[in-house]
Amino acid sequence: MTAVTATLTPAPSAALPPPASPKGRRLGERLSAYAYIAPFFVLFAVFGLFPFAFTFYVALFDWNPIGDQVFIGADNFTRMFADPRFWNAAGNTVSIWFLSTVPQLLLALVLAHVLNHARLRFALFFRMSMLIPYVTSVAATAIVFAQLFDRDYGLLNWLLGLVGVEPVDFVQSTWGSHLLIATMVVWRWFGYTTLLYLASLQSVPRAVFEAAAIDGAGPWQRFRHITVPSLRPVIIFTVVTSTIGGLQIFTEPLLIASGAPLTCGAVRQCQTLTLFLYEQGFGQFEFGYGSAIGVALFAMVVVIAAVNYLLSTRIKADR
Amino acid sequence: MTFRPPLLLLAAAFALATACTPGGGGGGGGGDDKTFDFWSFSAINQKLTVDAYQAKHPDIQIKLTEVGTSTETAQSLTTALAGGKVPDLVLIQGDNLPQFVEQPQNFVDLRTLGADDIKGDYLDWVWKQSVAKGGEVLGVPTDVGGMAVAYRTDLFAAAGLPTDRESVSALWPTWDAFIETGKRYKQATGKAFTDNAATSVFYQAVNQVSEKYYSEDRKLVYADNPQVKAAFDLGIKAATAGITAGQSSFESAWSAGMAQGQYAAVSAPSWMLNSIRSTAPDTKGKWDIATIPGGSGNWGGSYLAIPKRAKNPQAAWNYIKEMQSPQGQLEHFTRVGALPSTPSVYQDAGLVDAKDPFFTDAPTGKIYTDSLLGLKPFYIGPDSAAIGQEFLNAITNVEQSGGNPDTAWDDAVRNIKTAIGE
Repeated sequence: MTAVTATLTPAPSAALPPPASPKGRRLGERLSAYAYIAPFFVLFAVFGLFPFAFTFYVALFDWNPIGDQVFIGADNFTRMFADPRFWNAAGNTVSIWFLSTVPQLLLALVLAHVLNHARLRFALFFRMSMLIPYVTSVAATAIVFAQLFDRDYGLLNWLLGLVGVEPVDFVQSTWGSHLLIATMVVWRWFGYTTLLYLASLQSVPRAVFEAAAIDGAGPWQRFRHITVPSLRPVIIFTVVTSTIGGLQIFTEPLLIASGAPLTCGAVRQCQTLTLFLYEQGFGQFEFGYGSAIGVALFAMVVVIAAVNYLLSTRIKADR
Repeated sequence: MTFRPPLLLLAAAFALATACTPGGGGGGGGGDDKTFDFWSFSAINQKLTVDAYQAKHPDIQIKLTEVGTSTETAQSLTTALAGGKVPDLVLIQGDNLPQFVEQPQNFVDLRTLGADDIKGDYLDWVWKQSVAKGGEVLGVPTDVGGMAVAYRTDLFAAAGLPTDRESVSALWPTWDAFIETGKRYKQATGKAFTDNAATSVFYQAVNQVSEKYYSEDRKLVYADNPQVKAAFDLGIKAATAGITAGQSSFESAWSAGMAQGQYAAVSAPSWMLNSIRSTAPDTKGKWDIATIPGGSGNWGGSYLAIPKRAKNPQAAWNYIKEMQSPQGQLEHFTRVGALPSTPSVYQDAGLVDAKDPFFTDAPTGKIYTDSLLGLKPFYIGPDSAAIGQEFLNAITNVEQSGGNPDTAWDDAVRNIKTAIGE
């Protein structure tokens, strides 16, 4: 550091005794701060910024990884917007997102409310248990759920059979596969969301709940008029994060259709946008087209992030 | 909140970035000629052949990697060629070969190592598929996929059907007769006759044509080719006849069904025998092999190729020359049952008299070489695999997801046009 200081600070005049002026020390401190944060930004430039810019670049080419790269301008994008597979993937993504987010957030709300109850015994045990699904690997979850939902040997179809319902082919049908994937997402994330809500709820003074109870508010009224309003900011936060996560869902659909994983079934019934991107980029090796899908996905994430910004500023204004 | 999608392309970006680095892995500097890397697909037991080679050449070290399925192996190879570490030797499945033949600059032209000298040993039409536009020879054929039908003698007996292979073969001179047999079986037992319509009927039938998805002069004809349409219609007919179990080949439920005896008959190109054997080892002796409806054809087969940046192409070539010689392929046949691509051994007693105890001593060598007689070779093009997959998906959709059989053909053709961008 001294060397840096010496070269970067102007030589102090002989009349002023302190060799390292306060100004010089400040500069050194300022620089050292940049040195401390540099590793992240260097890595970000290499692993974030460069691939990001490169994706935009590749999207303008007909890019064969082992052959020629031909500049074709916006052709990949016109092709994409005319491609029914793209719209199919977009539709599947939205459908799976909706089926997973709505029940997940509702379930988490109710669970958080119950876990926050004053007279709950073993509360810590129940709260920690919520995290178990979250720490389970996605692959393990997918394998177990695919077996539970299996057409011929699945537990679920066996139960349905007991009440006389014909076996459902969850993986091969559109709604079935969406339901299956959504169930996996809910299972994995509801505990995490519950704990977020619970943490926020615990900042609400217990006296508020007690006062409401004394005034004659039942559990439902306390839930509606205290729990939900006090959670509003964090609810919006979870809606936004799960939307972004939902747009990028990849592993679950990849793993459930073991025979045709990249299309997630014979008619792409559960192929999501990221899976479509991966199929084109790394299955068909159409790098240019895959990159174009990546750019489209980026645009969608930016729009969602903008909505996030608008909503969060609105909340601030409310207070 | 992180920005994921383009990160997926990060890997690609990096692979490409390193590809531009001159001398990356090339040059062969420092590599001794006693060791080489070999990429194969799993489940076809290349290890036996590698072990046999090493037993003869104890000074040679082969690092065999079983990458995954044939498709996964081709994908890994593409990524490696685009900038990663390439193997010295790689096994490429026939359907994946054309995309590499289109880009010959990525491979060693085997003529420089002496391919012209051994060319005459191989089936001419098989050899030609690995020859690029400029005449470069990219691969040496390892095996071909003669076709047949494997069936369960015990299940046939239970359904009141004949069980010896001549009578069973006589049950289905045509694919229509095969489907009718399936209906008889279903009526007698109430159970599914075959695993699925897509591979067991359509893929078999579509590989018996004289012209498939491309014409002889390499133009796309899949949509107007009556032979393809006829095979597709057979697939749809089998899918709607209620004789299939609706289990897509090679999925885990398919394997479970195989082990539990849910299929009385399955398509059995020669390489499938090994798959049946390893999927359902407990069914040994319950199978037999009958001829394929509709006459001769070929499905599958593989090639050995040497990437351009291989460190030790000579050692890889020595392996190819020895193990893929007519004698080497005959020995490989006795080890794993893959049918040789070298016609000079087709009359050899080792092949003609070979009997497979797993399949009730069926004379597999004779059955499969007979199925290649009178075969009319067709050209396999760069998009053949993608086209076949879309046709297969369309039939699976009718069979398993309640798709409309009347619009299946048009849907498939439309999907293919989107998929290959034509």
